[in-house]
Amino acid sequence: MKPTLGEKVFNIINNIFMLVMCVVMIYPFLNQLAISFNEGSDTALGGINLLPRKFTLQNYQVVFENESFSSAAFISVTRVVLVVILSTIVVFSAAYGITRKGLAYRRGITVFLMIPAYVTAGVIPTYMAYRYLGMINNYSVYIVPMLFSFYNMVIIRSFLQDLPASIEESAKIDGANDIIIMAKIAFPLSMPVVATTALWVAVGAWNDWTTTLMYVTEPDLFPLQYLMMKLIKESEVAQQMAAQATMTGKSSAFVPTSESVKAATLIVTTLPIILVYPFLQKYFIKGVTLGAVKE
Amino acid sequence: MTANKNGMSAGSAKSSFRQNIARNKLAYLMLLPAIILVLVLCYLPFFGIILAFKDFDIIKGIMDSPWVGFENFKAIFVQEEMILAIWNTLVYGVTILFLGFPFPIILAILFNELKNMRLKKIYQTISYMPYFLSWISIVGLIYTFFSLEGPFNSMMASIHGADYEAENILFNSKYFLPVIFFSHIWKSIGWSSVIFLAAIAGIDPTLYEAATVDGCGKFQQIIHITLPGIKATAIIVLIMNLGTLFNMNFEQVYALQNVYTQQSTETINTLIYRQGIQNGKYSMATAFGLAQGLVTIVILLTSNFFSKKFFNVGLW
Repeated sequence: MKPTLGEKVFNIINNIFMLVMCVVMIYPFLNQLAISFNEGSDTALGGINLLPRKFTLQNYQVVFENESFSSAAFISVTRVVLVVILSTIVVFSAAYGITRKGLAYRRGITVFLMIPAYVTAGVIPTYMAYRYLGMINNYSVYIVPMLFSFYNMVIIRSFLQDLPASIEESAKIDGANDIIIMAKIAFPLSMPVVATTALWVAVGAWNDWTTTLMYVTEPDLFPLQYLMMKLIKESEVAQQMAAQATMTGKSSAFVPTSESVKAATLIVTTLPIILVYPFLQKYFIKGVTLGAVKE
Repeated sequence: MTANKNGMSAGSAKSSFRQNIARNKLAYLMLLPAIILVLVLCYLPFFGIILAFKDFDIIKGIMDSPWVGFENFKAIFVQEEMILAIWNTLVYGVTILFLGFPFPIILAILFNELKNMRLKKIYQTISYMPYFLSWISIVGLIYTFFSLEGPFNSMMASIHGADYEAENILFNSKYFLPVIFFSHIWKSIGWSSVIFLAAIAGIDPTLYEAATVDGCGKFQQIIHITLPGIKATAIIVLIMNLGTLFNMNFEQVYALQNVYTQQSTETINTLIYRQGIQNGKYSMATAFGLAQGLVTIVILLTSNFFSKKFFNVGLW
């Protein structure tokens, strides 16, 4: 069927609207990218849009040579790695366990695990419990609370339920127990869904700064996002970082400003996310509809 | 449910419990880490709610601090900053909920009308981008955008001419609500459209074919087929968002606040953080949080009840 004139016009307008939307979505990021590659004193004059005017790498040099930055990067990276590995083990084995036949208390356990996804005790009671558990100002507060996610368990569970049972049954006849079957057969088969949930967990752990805000005051434990929060909200911190670089006299002609240091830090902390997020959509979109209907 | 019955009906409930555990010990073992984590990290804190009914003294500890009944709750309605926080939370929440609600639906409908599948995928992926950035990164971008020498002020200057005086609107609490609203839309519109797009995909395509045969235009099809087709999804999303009415996004508000705007833009969640964790008024902050949680549950239950009654759609 041939499109009418009205439809053609609508299609053109719709595409123009989409292009405008895309510009609105990515302009602030590209602008920040340009500023991060531009000389600080020049940025202060204004007018930087999508391209740097006086190109320099020194903003990044300042950031990477800063001690609080490298310490924060270390915290962030180790946190992401540990959380991804450990939470995959916890969530996957829970999802595998809950799908086993003959489990008499499946319903009760599911409800028990589900309730906290909807009802929490509140900020202060949680703080008190963490304090009681010795997690305040302790690295464990970055790991332990992120290990189990009911939502990820549901996504993996529904994937496992769709796997053909015959593969496992033949392994069982060969005398393998549930843990061996899980590790050697179910887990490799579930790689696509596990990769997606792991990536979600990684993004969550990387992006988190409120955990530090609530439970950590020790500067050695600050992650990148929290450092950036301080840079953005407390302009003295960014000035200090810029001033430190000037004092150590790496480059006498170059004066980094707090704005350019901020821009470089922001790019470094968000770039990993921008690179991985397109891969996150796949199972989530399935999960949205799934999670809404089944428990 | 059926599996549960053989555990309860028999007189030897205890032994069948043990039997089931023994027979499936590996399966239970796999669930054990998750159960322990949830028990300790999510259920244990509920005991802390008793703080709301005590005058907590950090030296005496939770158990030995004196009981004060509902004194902490009464304080909520007396202290001016708490009343302001409740008011702000409601204003921000209502604005985002009702004014912001149509945006992702409109975007989903427009996505659905795109003919070129590759372009559609690219547009969609770009629209999701801000959703994956942390609020603090977003606020960093916003600060650059509205800075005195930033794009916003140079745009305003080119519109208003030479007599325009550059201003950083983030330092003026007058603009806090529009900044909250538009930054929320910017961050979430793409990702929120996903669920509506899924709902549109579930509409029977023969309905559209029949409408075309009957000479129904694109716009009329959207009004008479697409919108009714996603009504149930829209109501469910609305009810879920109603639950967050008293739960204004802490990260967004906290990240956007600064010394100039903080006092007049405090919300329930930011006030709980400042009073409880920063100033150590644990009991009062717990009471405030508990009241907020209870109100949220009541809103959810009522809205679900009425939606079931009038639209036959509900969360459970």
